[in-house]
Amino acid sequence: MRVIPSTSAAPPVFPVPTAGGSSSAAALLAAARDRLVTAARAGRGGRAAQARYAAEFDDLVRVLAADAAASAAGASRVVVCALGGYGRRALCLHSDIDLVVVFGGAIGAAEERYVNALLQPLWDLGLTVGHHIRERSELDTADDGNPEFLLALCDLRLIAGDAALFDDVWAATERERRSAAPRRIEALLALGRERHTRFNDTLYHLEPDVKEAPGGLRDVNAIRLVRTLAREGSGGGWPDVSRVDEAEDFLLRVRVLLHELGGRDANILTHDYQEQVADALRSPGDDTHTRVEALMEEYYGHARTIAAALRATIAAGRPVASTPAVRPIGPDLAMSAEGVEFREPDVAASRPALWLDAFRVAVEHGRPLGDAALTVIAENVHRYPSSYFLDSDAGRQQVRALLYPAPGLAARLGEMIECGLLIAIFPEFGKIHGKVVRDFYHKYTVDEHTRLAVRSLESLWQPATASRARFGSILNELRAPEWLTLALLYHDVGKWQDGEHVEESLRLAKPMLARLGLAGEARHSIEFLIGHHLDMARVAFRTDVEDPDTVAKFAGSIASDEHLKLLCLMTLADVEAVGPGTLTPWKEDLLWRLYVDAYTHLTLSYADDLIQKDQAGREAALAQRPADIAEGELIRFLDGLPRRYLAVFDLDTIYGHVRLARGLGVGDVHTTLQKHDDVWELTVAALDQPYLFSDIAGVLAAFGMDIHRGQALTTPDGTALDVFQFTDAEHFLRQNAEAVGEINQVLDGVVAGAFDVSRLLGGRLRGAARRKRPVESRVLVSNEHSQKYTVVEIVAADAPGLLYRISRAMSDAGCEVDLVLISTEGNRAIDVVHITKDGRKLTEPERRGVADRLKRALQGES
Amino acid sequence: MKLVKAIVRPNRVDEVREALEKLGVPGMTVTEVRGHGRQKGHTAIYRGKEYNVTLLPKVEIEIVIPDNIVDSVIDAIVKAARTGEIGDGRVFVQHVEQSYKIRTGEREV
Repeated sequence: MRVIPSTSAAPPVFPVPTAGGSSSAAALLAAARDRLVTAARAGRGGRAAQARYAAEFDDLVRVLAADAAASAAGASRVVVCALGGYGRRALCLHSDIDLVVVFGGAIGAAEERYVNALLQPLWDLGLTVGHHIRERSELDTADDGNPEFLLALCDLRLIAGDAALFDDVWAATERERRSAAPRRIEALLALGRERHTRFNDTLYHLEPDVKEAPGGLRDVNAIRLVRTLAREGSGGGWPDVSRVDEAEDFLLRVRVLLHELGGRDANILTHDYQEQVADALRSPGDDTHTRVEALMEEYYGHARTIAAALRATIAAGRPVASTPAVRPIGPDLAMSAEGVEFREPDVAASRPALWLDAFRVAVEHGRPLGDAALTVIAENVHRYPSSYFLDSDAGRQQVRALLYPAPGLAARLGEMIECGLLIAIFPEFGKIHGKVVRDFYHKYTVDEHTRLAVRSLESLWQPATASRARFGSILNELRAPEWLTLALLYHDVGKWQDGEHVEESLRLAKPMLARLGLAGEARHSIEFLIGHHLDMARVAFRTDVEDPDTVAKFAGSIASDEHLKLLCLMTLADVEAVGPGTLTPWKEDLLWRLYVDAYTHLTLSYADDLIQKDQAGREAALAQRPADIAEGELIRFLDGLPRRYLAVFDLDTIYGHVRLARGLGVGDVHTTLQKHDDVWELTVAALDQPYLFSDIAGVLAAFGMDIHRGQALTTPDGTALDVFQFTDAEHFLRQNAEAVGEINQVLDGVVAGAFDVSRLLGGRLRGAARRKRPVESRVLVSNEHSQKYTVVEIVAADAPGLLYRISRAMSDAGCEVDLVLISTEGNRAIDVVHITKDGRKLTEPERRGVADRLKRALQGES
Repeated sequence: MKLVKAIVRPNRVDEVREALEKLGVPGMTVTEVRGHGRQKGHTAIYRGKEYNVTLLPKVEIEIVIPDNIVDSVIDAIVKAARTGEIGDGRVFVQHVEQSYKIRTGEREV
């Protein structure tokens, strides 16, 4: 980059024009503006044109300064200097005129006359003047409380006045600048961070502010200032930022057009102005729409260049002492001042798996990928087709793991987009890269909206408000939060085309899910989220959520509490990423209320909502049933089960349940045990009998299994179907080849009454009872939520054998355990059990009795 | 001139807006608010714990209209916002002494 010096070491001495009176000022200004407008309309209003305009404005100021000197006889020596953008000769059509007037002596009446004579005509011309009046001696003491002024002094430039005084002023500011350079840089960076925050830390605005937004003209100046201020003591050589000049010139050409079109200091490239600017800058395209797209693509490209140059400049400008040493992270990666780098870039160029690993490490360390590493990826990613990244289990697992929404993921996704890696892996996402969709609400390009939605999601790990913490608690409960990231990545890819986008997003997501090897619940959930991502916002914000029927209908369309949790968080993230202020606390409350009411419906009231003959899922199950399952067999199995059964399980799993339930006799236990990633799933079918559920839960606990979620159902003909998802915390299954057989054998024995579960569990239960419980236990036993069942909801600290203890307590009270939902949130267990006694709801004394038993069971008492 | 302030259910805003457009009311100010009147709130159970939502989300619509259409505007709002349940909201009418356009400084009559 060619850096324009902030000030010249040997300032030129300008001749002061003959005083012509302020009457000529208006003519001078009008002529100068006419020339700049002509250049702007021709698309040539960039740096050169603005420098000419600044020079012409200098002439105007000199005329006024001469008039002022004539009217202020006796005033001390004086200099009139330009500051900031005017000082850099980047003076736009309606920019503020930043001036500093410095007097050699004390400011008295004559000096005040001078200032009035200088400034009044500028005000009369309708100009906005940012003026600073100083005595020379004041410049020896910097005012740290006014960092903007001190930074503007870096662009100090003499316009009129005493050259010797200017030399003195220049020397004083230079001394101050050198002595306070680190503080000035910190102030500059703090101002920049505050400014970027106002723009949500993104440069992909649909209507960008070409001056203030990230990647805008203020960032160009920040690059220049950092280089000026950190000339001494910086950490190393400056990065090559040669393309910044071109980017700056583009932004200046756009800005001057905005000033001309708006007739004021307008810097926002609004949708309306985009069409006119595209025409003036000769953006390519056969029609207005295409030309605007080309203009905005060029804008984003330049903004990216500036943002990258600023990052690199800040890193290079760090004082040597504060520059972290490069330290290795494993055999292939290293951490430098800029972030994660490849230790051997040449080797890394042909190892795409290492690229993903670098991003994983970057997320783990909360650091970016270094520019050198990004360059390696960007230059080589085109050599690998999308199939390359997902053609092995290891590759698929690596990509899925990377998408866990840990803090910092969104920033890394931004880097993956910039270097082309994300689009290489997910080519469908490329269809919305930089995509502008104009509507009243969205503030960002479609891909950036998506990235910001992921950022909103990841922020829930460290919620900023109590209101947001409610949603954070949901995130803690999810089995696979990375499903949300995937769903968010694809929820709007259908916007590449005009018109309805949800179905198109779903169509594009299906091949991705297949490439990622996602099937069953994962695939079902992600497809559900993409296909329904607009539903919850519509219901929460546009229907009457106080109406129980509205909630019931919505809950019926969701059908499982896990899907509800996913959809709630997706809605929250999607709405927040639309634009600043879109997700108001008011909307959060509406969303939360709908979530709670729907959750209550799905968990406490779902038992009354049975599979109906005309239900679409039932018809699909019948139509697609395999040859070995007769229609009558399937109907007998399904009818009488809650509707949620069809939503929670995919068809293959349902058919598996039907087969598992065949031929059950008294005391028989049919089981399947499968592993999905790190989670085991045990499905048990047996004829229902007292203590059956607690016996199975107890057996799993006895083998050290940690039950995270699951559910139990009972068909009308008395078949119990229990599904448990658990982790093998003690590696019993992994380390014992006969483990599955042993578990089955014990299950058989327990159900047949040959083994006593409490004996098997003895030691574990005593250990659990001794442990402290940081979670407050709550027990709700209610007849209000279901027409047929008494509903028990238990929230307690998770502990070995907990499910066994609470389900046994209910059986001990003579209750039938008909339906169970098991879930965990961190170290909390949340279990909902639907019970009856002798086929009816419990009486009030019976409910109190069950509640007491449960409280004792939670305290570890038998 | 009159300032009409209507507190309505969030899901009735579109209906109210459409009704006002039919009467030729050109613009309105819509604010997200919370409050309660006779509809005291809502009790929900989550994670075994009851909690009360005492302030319910509502939307406040403000319009300034000529005196001669006040009755028809109120009638339109009431019809559009009504569900018949407690919590449908309220309409308030106030006298407006003067009104000015900020852009032009023009006083509206």
